[in-house]
Amino acid sequence: MDRSEVERRVSAVIRKVLQLPPGEIRPEANFVFDLGADSMQSLQLVAAFEEEFGVELDQEAALAVQTVASAVDFLQANLAR
Amino acid sequence: MRPVSADPWQALFRPASVAVVGATSLPGTVPYDLFHNLRRDGFPGPVYPVSPRGGAIDGVPAFKYVIDIPDPVDLAVIVFPSSVCDLALEQCGRKGIPAAIVISAGFRENGPAGAQREARLREIAGRYGMLLLGPNCLGLINTDPAVRLNASFARRAPQPGGIGFLSQSGALCTAVLDYAQGRHIGFSSLVSFGNKAGVTEIELLEYLARDPRTRVILLYLEEVTDGRGLMAAARRVVAEEGKPVLALKAGRTRAGAAAASSHTGSLAGSDDVCDAAFRQAGILRCATVGELLDLGVALAGQPVPRGNRVAVITNAGGPGVLVSDRAVRAGLVLASFLPATSAALKKSLPLTASLTNPVDLIGDARVERYRDAVSAVLADPGVDGVLVLLTPQSMTDIPAIAGELCRLAGREKPLYASFMGQSEVAEGAGLLERSGVPQFAQPEAMCDAFAGAWRFGLARRRLQAAPKPEDPKDGAGLPPGASKLLTEDPARGYLPLDRALALLSCFGIPVPRQALARSEAEAVAAARSLGFPVAFKAVSEQITHKSDAGGVRLGIADATEAAAGYRELGRAVARIAGARLDGVLVQAMAQPGLELILGFQRDPSFGTALMAGAGGVWVELLRDVSFRIPPFGQEEARAMLEELSVHPLLAGFRGGPARDIEAVAGCVLAVARLSLACPQFEALDVNPLVVYPRGCLALDARLTRRRT
Repeated sequence: MDRSEVERRVSAVIRKVLQLPPGEIRPEANFVFDLGADSMQSLQLVAAFEEEFGVELDQEAALAVQTVASAVDFLQANLAR
Repeated sequence: MRPVSADPWQALFRPASVAVVGATSLPGTVPYDLFHNLRRDGFPGPVYPVSPRGGAIDGVPAFKYVIDIPDPVDLAVIVFPSSVCDLALEQCGRKGIPAAIVISAGFRENGPAGAQREARLREIAGRYGMLLLGPNCLGLINTDPAVRLNASFARRAPQPGGIGFLSQSGALCTAVLDYAQGRHIGFSSLVSFGNKAGVTEIELLEYLARDPRTRVILLYLEEVTDGRGLMAAARRVVAEEGKPVLALKAGRTRAGAAAASSHTGSLAGSDDVCDAAFRQAGILRCATVGELLDLGVALAGQPVPRGNRVAVITNAGGPGVLVSDRAVRAGLVLASFLPATSAALKKSLPLTASLTNPVDLIGDARVERYRDAVSAVLADPGVDGVLVLLTPQSMTDIPAIAGELCRLAGREKPLYASFMGQSEVAEGAGLLERSGVPQFAQPEAMCDAFAGAWRFGLARRRLQAAPKPEDPKDGAGLPPGASKLLTEDPARGYLPLDRALALLSCFGIPVPRQALARSEAEAVAAARSLGFPVAFKAVSEQITHKSDAGGVRLGIADATEAAAGYRELGRAVARIAGARLDGVLVQAMAQPGLELILGFQRDPSFGTALMAGAGGVWVELLRDVSFRIPPFGQEEARAMLEELSVHPLLAGFRGGPARDIEAVAGCVLAVARLSLACPQFEALDVNPLVVYPRGCLALDARLTRRRT
């Protein structure tokens, strides 16, 4: 899966889980500081990424991911395995 | 709109505006409660919620970022998860906010990753010159009616009062607040400083010392990182501002001390050192939360007792005796009344009343008897304070008596009350508490609090009279001849005994004439030269306690005994695995006398702890020791000796001769100078220091090098 496809699907998941209004989600946006994710939503995000991409993620490593761009990197690396 | 405060301390304690960064709209969460508390408790300035999701919190529109707030902000309270607190603090810095409180946990207390996050907060605050309180704290409350700042997630702010409370534990603050609420205890400020990444307890102490609303400062500490700084600050607060500093310090155990290799090290448990350091700095150390609050209330509400002579007024004989017993045990004295006082009591009390101290007004006493008796004893110049007891009997007009005591209390002499009981006395007790008259449900606590307040007065006078100690410089002040003793064998764990004693001598501590012998012939020759009898002591780096190892021979009377003694010491050392005999120290035999121990031990919190105590081979068994933190003067050195149980023997006991206390005090100060001048040593034992009617003599010493 190419990077732009991963980015598009990651943005869609984030918008759905965090119930964000339509608009651009910047790659450097921090899930907590910029997008307002609380701890429960962070867990929901990890679960939604697993479902969207059909992968099983290391929970601790996944929760340490802080920005949208890092989430794309993290998912690409997992998809490549 | 007022511009931001130029003084960040003003911004922290008396902000004109506050931003809650990371606020949420979900009641029952820390971010919500904090925002809600600020508004509910009447903070008069604007409170801005900052939430990445925008929207409104409690009906107030939220800003997405703190930099979006168009107006100046004095104080930011950050309640984000720890992972992004640095981002929030960075924005606060960019906006020019002078002070920030980071409430969030998940920093140093959570391991290395948390410690890194905390270091980042410190770096950001430093770069922007921001005052940083926390992280991992409850927040800050200032009850000044002009400020009404409750920047905390405590359930409620306390009522205004004269107590400033600084706590390393946020949870303890909430418990103290609840306890205080029930006892009508008022606070000026309450600060939870958590991990103290920025603001420390020392700076907070200095701030509250300058705060006119704070009369007493209470501290709860779990660790002392800069003990000497804390001592210096407390000394200033007590001596210059005259304000009491009370501390509850967790961790009173002796863990770790047992493993130390020196006598001083094994006796100088960190808690004993902390006790001594606090006392030296005028800090009153309390053992329980109850004691801390009791003493805080007493000192905030009443004058400091000028002396320890108390009058006890009671309407019940039994409790009067109980109080008298406890008062005496706490170090107080039952005052003897002047004839005029006795006459006044006789005039106003019934024939069955007891007119001597404790004054028993008899069970049917009503407000008039309490008024007349308390007035009479307060007027007696031989009375330093009054302890009033009340038991709730059917005719006792409790609220009226409480009201009268409030009227009489707190002018020049302190008045404490113990209305014994709970429900019957509640109204009267509440009246007293609200008027600043210390009220104790248990009369024993009343006596202990009075004794504590009296001791504070003593400590304050002592500190006000003492010259200010100068901050020592490590390595400064080596006396002539000392440096050549310190140059050889830096790899050895200990300074050899002959050199250690020679070094003591350089610092002015008397030692016996001595010579180091490395062979039997040298030992015999040295003994002849010094004159029999002599003592032989094995010099071996591997042996910590010579007498335990058979490494000491005393009273060697002639050359034959000297030769045999040398061989015996060689055999004794050979019996110890890995030990090597480096030589035998031959000393002129000293006369018997009173044996003391002096020493020092480096301490992680206070730099160096100096010890004096009962010496000889039973040091650890007797544990009769006292500690001080250098530098200090002759008075403190004498006071150290006075604290020892063995002191009467020094002063001359049951016909025994008085010993040369001044000489010992001089040696204590010499050890203090040595500890400051020789930072390469970790610990020193001088044991025994034999004390005579004139002079003293250090017979043995062990100087341990610091491991690098």
